[in-house]
Amino acid sequence: MSVYPQRNSKFENWRFLVLFILIGTIFGFYILRLFDIQIIQGEDFIAQANDNRTQVIYEPAIRGTIYDRNGYILAQNVPSYNVVVTPGYLPADEGDIQDIFRELAELIDMPVSQGDTDEETVRNFTPCYNDLGISQIVFIATTNWPYQSTALKCDVSQDVAMVVMENSEDWPGIDIEISSVRHYPTGELTSEIIGFLGPVPAVLEDYYVDLGFVANRDKVGYAGVEQSLNDILAGRNGRELVEVNVAGEIIRTLEEPVEPTPGQDVYLTIDSRLQSIAREALINELNYWNAYSGRTISNNGVVIAMNPKTGEVLALVSYPNFENNRMERIIPGYYYEQLSNDPQRPLFNHAISAEHPPGSVYKMTSALGVLNEGVVTPEYEVEDPGTITVIQRFYENDPGVPRQFVCWDRNGHGMVNFLEGVAFSCNIYWHKVAGGFGDEVPDGGLGPWLMSEYAQALGYGSETGIELPGESDGLVPNPTWKRLTLGENWATGDTYTAAIGQGFVLATPLQVLNSISTIANGGKLMDVTIVDKVVDQDGEIVQQLTPTVRWDITQDPVINMYDGNVETSETKTVEPWVIELANQGMRMVVTEGTASRYETDRHDDLFRNDTSRSAGKTGTAEYCDNVAQAQGLCVPEAWPAHAWYVGYAPWDDAEIAVVAFIYNGKEGATFAAPIVRQVIDAYFELKLIDTPVQP
Amino acid sequence: MKQLRNIWQNFDFWLFSAVLILSILGIALIRSSIAGNLELVDHPQRQTTFLAISLVVLFVVAAVDYKYWMTLIQPMYLVTMVFLLFVFTAEARFGAVRWLEVGQILIQPAELAKIVIILTLANFFAKQDNRILKFSTILRSALLVGGLLIWIFLQPNLSTTIVLLVIWAAFLWITGIRIRYILIAIGLVLFVLVIGALTGFSFLEDYQKLRITNFLFPDPNARYGETYNVDQALITIGTGGLFGQGYNQSTQVQLRFLKVRHTDFIFSVLAAEFGFVGTVLVLLLLVVVIVRCFRIAQNATDTFGTLIAYGFGVLIFFQSIVNIGVNMNVLPVTGLTLPFVSYGGSSLLSLMLGIGLVESVAMRSEKRTE
Repeated sequence: MSVYPQRNSKFENWRFLVLFILIGTIFGFYILRLFDIQIIQGEDFIAQANDNRTQVIYEPAIRGTIYDRNGYILAQNVPSYNVVVTPGYLPADEGDIQDIFRELAELIDMPVSQGDTDEETVRNFTPCYNDLGISQIVFIATTNWPYQSTALKCDVSQDVAMVVMENSEDWPGIDIEISSVRHYPTGELTSEIIGFLGPVPAVLEDYYVDLGFVANRDKVGYAGVEQSLNDILAGRNGRELVEVNVAGEIIRTLEEPVEPTPGQDVYLTIDSRLQSIAREALINELNYWNAYSGRTISNNGVVIAMNPKTGEVLALVSYPNFENNRMERIIPGYYYEQLSNDPQRPLFNHAISAEHPPGSVYKMTSALGVLNEGVVTPEYEVEDPGTITVIQRFYENDPGVPRQFVCWDRNGHGMVNFLEGVAFSCNIYWHKVAGGFGDEVPDGGLGPWLMSEYAQALGYGSETGIELPGESDGLVPNPTWKRLTLGENWATGDTYTAAIGQGFVLATPLQVLNSISTIANGGKLMDVTIVDKVVDQDGEIVQQLTPTVRWDITQDPVINMYDGNVETSETKTVEPWVIELANQGMRMVVTEGTASRYETDRHDDLFRNDTSRSAGKTGTAEYCDNVAQAQGLCVPEAWPAHAWYVGYAPWDDAEIAVVAFIYNGKEGATFAAPIVRQVIDAYFELKLIDTPVQP
Repeated sequence: MKQLRNIWQNFDFWLFSAVLILSILGIALIRSSIAGNLELVDHPQRQTTFLAISLVVLFVVAAVDYKYWMTLIQPMYLVTMVFLLFVFTAEARFGAVRWLEVGQILIQPAELAKIVIILTLANFFAKQDNRILKFSTILRSALLVGGLLIWIFLQPNLSTTIVLLVIWAAFLWITGIRIRYILIAIGLVLFVLVIGALTGFSFLEDYQKLRITNFLFPDPNARYGETYNVDQALITIGTGGLFGQGYNQSTQVQLRFLKVRHTDFIFSVLAAEFGFVGTVLVLLLLVVVIVRCFRIAQNATDTFGTLIAYGFGVLIFFQSIVNIGVNMNVLPVTGLTLPFVSYGGSSLLSLMLGIGLVESVAMRSEKRTE
């Protein structure tokens, strides 16, 4: 009962009661909700609040410079001046702001007002790449990040930058930001080696962000050593944890800042002079033959020069390549598209990534095999009638089908011994010794298994380890591989074709060079390298090239023996005299063999009057790829062919080895060998120049 | 007849104390909300001045017998309508005009309208003799409300429109509307909603539609969009924990991640700096204010007094729950402030005037002498 004697009886008490219940219910619910937000989910919200107020600033690290072996700059950083605005520091008076804008507009040749600031423009706003006026950019910056600097105009001249800096007293909020831009002074001369930079790719963003990179600001290597040595070159961004307010203004530093670690400088083993000569020689050769034939024979070739003793690459040319100095600031979309769509694949490093049949150069693998295994003696003579027919058997007791094999010289070379087989690149000789031929070479010759073993001992079928991205490992076929891949048994003819580097065999130009280098180096397979030394910002050498022998085939038993198709535990080395004879054979190539011939006005010299005492091996590798197929060139007996030549000098103590490869180059001796000779000659001339004159 | 000292014996100190604490706390929170924003620097000072004026108004109004207001209701109604018409026809400032500049002071006719509607309806229903609310009475009260409401709706000021409608509905409820009318009204509201859905709510302003859409379907990726304010409010409340981060210590407030923190989102400031315990205490203070209003209504000597106290109780109740609901993201953003606590001179003044009226009712109710 009420304590009040006089009640207003007009209102029903239950209607008040409903209201009191409503008050209790709603406030009760609110207290529960408050408990949920503050106590149960409190931790989450505190984390979100901390996320709001803290910001990590990554001070960019300076990227290392790339030099060639003589200290010539191949990639460096140059300053780029951007005019930036920090809206938070502009004067308070609107009139003063307009004055600044007007004066600035005149200086940097940019309209005060241009374009709209609708939602779309704001969302798509990219500093440096827009056609907005000063007011529009300032508006966008004011709305989004008033205390961060935003670029108004990028890459202004140094003079303009100086004027802006002089005016900084009168123009509060306007400043010059010096950023560093990668510069490639040698451009396309070395672009396949150096590569280029690009933004942090979206797929690898997590990886790079973990390393302290800032997506949309920092750049990473996209090709060449810029990519493969990115960790060394990039250094490490500095890191500072700060507290910011909603406008992005820094209130205080929360942790001891970490200074950026500059990237280290890299000296490559490349000699730019030799690189330039090699590239010139290749391009001239291509131009000559294209002009000579009156049609485009080839626009694709490779030249690599290395020191067989150390594995250092002195020149590496993949043609065509690209102009990395056009990609210094950004990668222009149209240019990248043009490169990507080019059928010659300029972005692809043909020297290390392209897999081609190595042709006759590959005979040197069988050459080591047949002597080392005693299939024939060096003096044993095999008959080359020009054409032979073998019965192709896929399995034992297969009645077989006859298949014809011809020598490149349809007349045949007559009776041929080992050295002549190398010198004249006599196909029939290599068919017979590698695959066996009746009673002349009994027991199936060297056979496919051992042939693949000797090829692998010379580095075929595995990466050379050069510090460039995208290296391919080629293909050394064997019967098991064929069964697994093609579902077909190995046939006698497969051994015959593999012996001359045709059929299934595939190798990169670098592998081909490295295999011959190994023979030139007395059987020592070197780890191929392009990095001479790495130097930190104090000039301390942190990494110095030490030539590494992967294996010495005369010492390390890398040849596995086989019993039929079964690998046995027996291994063996290669006898040094076998390598000696292989070298002699390749010397004969130059003195009286395939590379001593001359057939055109241009190349009547070839290796005559060769003072460098070089040796080498020609290769004319028949092929039938998609391109040739599409042009209807794949005609039996007249296949298109790539030109190969590997040369080294001096032949008995080689210090330079060079490979030249010309896609669709028809014949090794005429297309590729002249390039190699020019590079070898240039090497010795440069050596003479570099040798200090003794007083 | 009562002696003057007897009148003040019945002054409701619980109500007055709760209101005073809330107002002073409000000034403290407004001070914390400045957070380096130069435009807000003078706000605590202004709010203090308004509080002082408001307290004088409160006591003056309390001292005067509320029955004298009956004669003033009709002129006040007309003046308010003139103000509203003036605002409606005035040139637009801030998109929708809600302010009237009188000398140096900006006054909000909408705040005035809330008081006038309460007094008008209290007067109107007090004069109805019948115990049962007739349909014609409902219609006539609707006309009274509509006379002011239409101009506010056309401003457009949706939140005040809703407040006035709620006050009207609350009056109908307490004066004994039949349940079947309520059911019919619910049916009508549903009908309007269906029609609205079919016409794409063309009678709502774009920003109002956006607020509702954002409440119902928030965009999870919005960083600086329309949901930003509410998201930040929720984060701010969440950082409070049990005892809060301390006065002037909330990073969300002091680094200005929380927007409109001195008005719409002052509740979040409170929750962040004083925590769960402090916030619940403030909620209880609000409950004290509302419940005291309703108790005074129940104990008033006449119907007019009852309805005045009841009307202001409903106003404070509704504004409180809507504002807090917005802060805790259980209701869409409306723009209603937290009574007594949020910054706003007009609002504080009109609320204190209302409390003065309620006290006037309390003082003139006959309490049983011990």
